[in-house]
Amino acid sequence: MTKNKIRFTPLDAVLIVLMLAAGLFLVRRIGVDMNYRWQWPVTLQYLVRMDGGSWTAGSLAQGFLTTVKLSLWATALATLLGTILGLMRVSHSLFDRLVAGSYVEMVRNLPPLVLVFIVYFFIGDRIMTLLGIEGLIRSASPATQAVLTFLFAPPARLSGFFAGLATLVLYEAAYITEIVRAGIQSIEQGQWEAAHALGLSRRQQLRYVILPQALQRILPALAGQLISTIKDSAIVSVISIPELTFQGLELMSATYLTFEIWITITALYFILTFTFSIGVRRLESSMQTKSSAG
Amino acid sequence: MKRNHLWIAITVITVFALFAARETIAQTAPAAGEGMLEQVMKRGVLRVGMSTFVPWAMQDKAGNFVGFEIDVANRLAQEMGVKAEFIPTKWSGIIPALLTGKFDIIIGGMGIRPERNLKVNFSIPYDHTGMSIVAHKKLAAGFRKLGDFNNANVSIAVRTGTTAAAAAKQWMPKAKLRLFDDESQAIQELLLGRVHAVIASAPLPAFQAIANPGKLFLPLKEDFTREPIGFAIRKGDFDSLNFLDNWIRVVEAEGWLKERKHHWFETKEWERLLK
Repeated sequence: MTKNKIRFTPLDAVLIVLMLAAGLFLVRRIGVDMNYRWQWPVTLQYLVRMDGGSWTAGSLAQGFLTTVKLSLWATALATLLGTILGLMRVSHSLFDRLVAGSYVEMVRNLPPLVLVFIVYFFIGDRIMTLLGIEGLIRSASPATQAVLTFLFAPPARLSGFFAGLATLVLYEAAYITEIVRAGIQSIEQGQWEAAHALGLSRRQQLRYVILPQALQRILPALAGQLISTIKDSAIVSVISIPELTFQGLELMSATYLTFEIWITITALYFILTFTFSIGVRRLESSMQTKSSAG
Repeated sequence: MKRNHLWIAITVITVFALFAARETIAQTAPAAGEGMLEQVMKRGVLRVGMSTFVPWAMQDKAGNFVGFEIDVANRLAQEMGVKAEFIPTKWSGIIPALLTGKFDIIIGGMGIRPERNLKVNFSIPYDHTGMSIVAHKKLAAGFRKLGDFNNANVSIAVRTGTTAAAAAKQWMPKAKLRLFDDESQAIQELLLGRVHAVIASAPLPAFQAIANPGKLFLPLKEDFTREPIGFAIRKGDFDSLNFLDNWIRVVEAEGWLKERKHHWFETKEWERLLK
């Protein structure tokens, strides 16, 4: 394979100059024509702040952390649920296929915003009171509460956090179900038959022959779904989960720094998802070399 | 195998039906259980529903809640011997959130309105507010009275679900109403010159006119409505309501409410907390 050397041509220079000019024009229009006073130094302290001699996370940084926690938990739990349902989708039992099929069709054909409200106002609330989770958390020891705060959210925000998490899990699991189903169905029929010929039961066929191969094909798509989850997590801001978007909206309504805060939020989301997508690309290429080597 | 599944399905449905029935019974008889007051004492925490309204309630740099309503809620909780916990909620969904038990009480500058009162119980007023207008200098040049805005060519921005929206519909029914999720978006729209005016509770319009002297002005010298502000709690809980009413009478007699109101509404000392 020949590698093309990257050359800097006059066209590149022209493009860079044009892009810079467009950026400057935009900033100028906002600053001069709209009479908008940029207050970037003020915005920075919502990220990190000197507090009594030590650096502490500002409210945007806290929201960022909540977004990360929410996305990681949602992906992990949705993978678990999605794997079970994905297996049900390819099961021999009609009942299993119907249950998983109706779930996937129902969730994928609803707007996520509607799903958020349904879970928050109806399902989440009923189940939370039924289980008595709130009382349980409040009577827990300080050590347990500290662990819960580290893993999820402060006790005060926990029930809201769980409602948001449940929505995201329900929503993402439907897509992961389809990823798992597609992964399993992409394995050639011959593999099933060969495993059957060896005298393996269906469970053993899945466990020893099909799933290890399917997993390799599923993994990159699954990692991609994590990125989707991060983006979808912004939607739970409507039920007041203090994640990045919600924290930003709160700040804007208190400080009126609309442009600065939206730009900061955009940058934070981009940094987060772009890091993950680079990771996913690495994962994909390493898997490809592995499978072609083996 | 098939029969097995049928039984599982029947069991699951029965269990759900039983839970649902239990829940409905529990819902229809709230008075038989504990009122808000007992629940709060037992929990040791007063959960307060609020929404960001400068300077009623907002987050400071450190992410702590500050503002007039926050002071009121903190003192109320302190006198109940519990801690106040603030649950920021979108204003348009704050009453459903109270009804479904996301928090115990709304302390967020909620205006007492008959249509709200059909769904929740209000305490006696602990504060009064009025609606005020801030207008765009160029677009609304020469506008001096309320009637000037009652025109089909005028558009007005307000926050969704607030009494400002109700006031705009009542006083300027001909004007086009544009609804936003919070005041900062409405003000932004005004600064961009896409609406003629923003209606909001005083003193927000005045503060905005001071902050943007080149673009905005106050067409009316005084507030054009006067609205009582009360605490909102779920219906059927009169013991708690009695406690709240009398708490308000006590702090009002002390002059404490007036002093706090002066601090948040007439001074701007608190501004350094935000920026």
